[in-house]
Amino acid sequence: MRFRILPLLLACLAVTSGAPRAFAAGVAFVVNSNSASISIIDMSTRREMRRVPALREPHHVMLTPDGKSLLVGDTAGNQMLFLDPATGDVQRRVPVSDPYQLGFSPDGKFLIVNGLARNQVDVYDPATMQLVKRFPVDQTPSHLAFSPDSRRVFVSLQGSDKLAAFDLTTMTPLWTEPVGPTPAGTLWLNGKVLVANMGSDYVAVVDPDTGHVVRKLVTGKGAHNLFLSPDRKILWVNNRAGGTTTSVDAATLEVIRSYNIPGGPDDIDFAPDGSLWITRRFVEKVAILHPDTGDFETIDVGRSPHGVWLNPAAASP
Amino acid sequence: MVDPLDLTAGWLHETFIIPVLYSLGLMRWEELAQGWILFAVYGAVQVALTLAICLPLERWRPVERWPDKSAVGVDIFYTILSRVGVLPLVTFVLFYKVQVALNGWITDHGWIPPTLEALFPGLLGHAVVTFVVYAIILDCADYWRHRVSHQFRWWWALHSVHHAQRQMTFWSDDRNHFLDDLIAFVWFGVIALAIGVPPMQFPVLVLVLRFVESLSHANARVSFGVVGERLLVSPRFHRAHHGVLAHGRRSCNYGAVLPWWDMLFGTADFSGEYVPTGDPTGDEASATGSWLAQQRSGLRRLWRSLGSHRKEA
Repeated sequence: MRFRILPLLLACLAVTSGAPRAFAAGVAFVVNSNSASISIIDMSTRREMRRVPALREPHHVMLTPDGKSLLVGDTAGNQMLFLDPATGDVQRRVPVSDPYQLGFSPDGKFLIVNGLARNQVDVYDPATMQLVKRFPVDQTPSHLAFSPDSRRVFVSLQGSDKLAAFDLTTMTPLWTEPVGPTPAGTLWLNGKVLVANMGSDYVAVVDPDTGHVVRKLVTGKGAHNLFLSPDRKILWVNNRAGGTTTSVDAATLEVIRSYNIPGGPDDIDFAPDGSLWITRRFVEKVAILHPDTGDFETIDVGRSPHGVWLNPAAASP
Repeated sequence: MVDPLDLTAGWLHETFIIPVLYSLGLMRWEELAQGWILFAVYGAVQVALTLAICLPLERWRPVERWPDKSAVGVDIFYTILSRVGVLPLVTFVLFYKVQVALNGWITDHGWIPPTLEALFPGLLGHAVVTFVVYAIILDCADYWRHRVSHQFRWWWALHSVHHAQRQMTFWSDDRNHFLDDLIAFVWFGVIALAIGVPPMQFPVLVLVLRFVESLSHANARVSFGVVGERLLVSPRFHRAHHGVLAHGRRSCNYGAVLPWWDMLFGTADFSGEYVPTGDPTGDEASATGSWLAQQRSGLRRLWRSLGSHRKEA
């Protein structure tokens, strides 16, 4: 079997061995779910400097609104790690039930934690990390997005092909509606909720008031996750089954270009130089895609890399 | 350093599993399938590694030579079923589900789920040391499970399927009655939950341990020497456990990987004999029958043992 993956490895090597580039400083965090660790990477040298141990199975990352801590949810470890976003040093570890995907409401008032394995959507007070409200859901709550006014949170229910909406002012469920097969990545964009359907090849555009799908945006097989560029002009969609990353005009929702990123592209973060750091779940690598050329570099990380977060402001380690 | 087996599993997953799941509309099982393919790849490598090392050993210094080796074929089936097939998936899913439910419940109630790392925070980040500690505890637990399985008549009725093999080879490690396997799974699961075993974090080391277990069944005149025999279970040491005179309660050398527990609890036999194996109290079906015949034989014997208990009562 090793011989069969050789062409893929050689192709990656060929891309990696291109002309040297000048890289800006910074620190990248890559969460290795199956290695139970977080890789700390020097963005200027593209080298992994060290690994911070998690307990069991960390997945996603989120910066606190005050920028003082980087949260990493360890699902099977039932822990939330608080890391120094400049160095990766562990500030504290807090017991939290099954923290898979997490997000702060735009007003910073609530931290939402999806418990994918335990079928729960938990609302925490981020100041105290006390559980405010638990919404039992059916089933496997995966990703989440907030309305800009922080009043609503939308959660994809991967196992039941639905999207659920919750009112955070009254702490009540609003609706649960079918949006397509195996919905995963979720994003608020221009007054709509976008949901990537991994069991299909499209992103569902959902009316946030009714939960009805108003448009289907075809991006590639196994549309899994989606991210908005920092200038809010480009929507990036990773397609798990197709092994592609698709750029979409965020205003018109027209597809611009598709890039081959084999190896299970998943989470994305954006570097100041315009490149995209993309975790590749099946090949123990993070890809750095240069959208202008379509080339990508790779950095070896741990097993099943999932969440990624860049801190260009941090001094290189 | 990348893990080539993990990469192989990833490649198989992306190239074969995902297209099938996608075309069948089963992408919700994608992450689960990823876990299974990883288990299957490691299982296949376990089998290949064992084959590559144990087969030459058995040909080089066999304890016994058999003109007809047909009884070994069933053991090969047991091995494939146990290490590569559906069993690892079921085991993984069941254990994972229970672990998630239990540990989430514990966390909800303000407690910390039990792990060795919680007990000894110094272990965190030291993967090899952590694994070794987990392995030692689990091996001790397995010693007692194994020893107890020889004490109760009903349990021995099931476990005797493992001992019935007169042509014991490295394939015989996984030759077990499914109920015996089930009990072992529950036993292991309870202990693993109590100490928070993270099996997916150490697949290479698990592979090494399983290799030692297979090697210990090899039909090979191999001993690890006076010191080595006391550090790791050897083919000679484990053969004594399978001896025809060591069935049921009469047995010795229950350890799977470490002989320490036998030494500590007075069941070790370092006599150096390479004895014939088998269970003279079992029927022929459990020794040379098909997989199904062996399973039936175990059930019949279990039924009889329960009947004798009822009569005694």
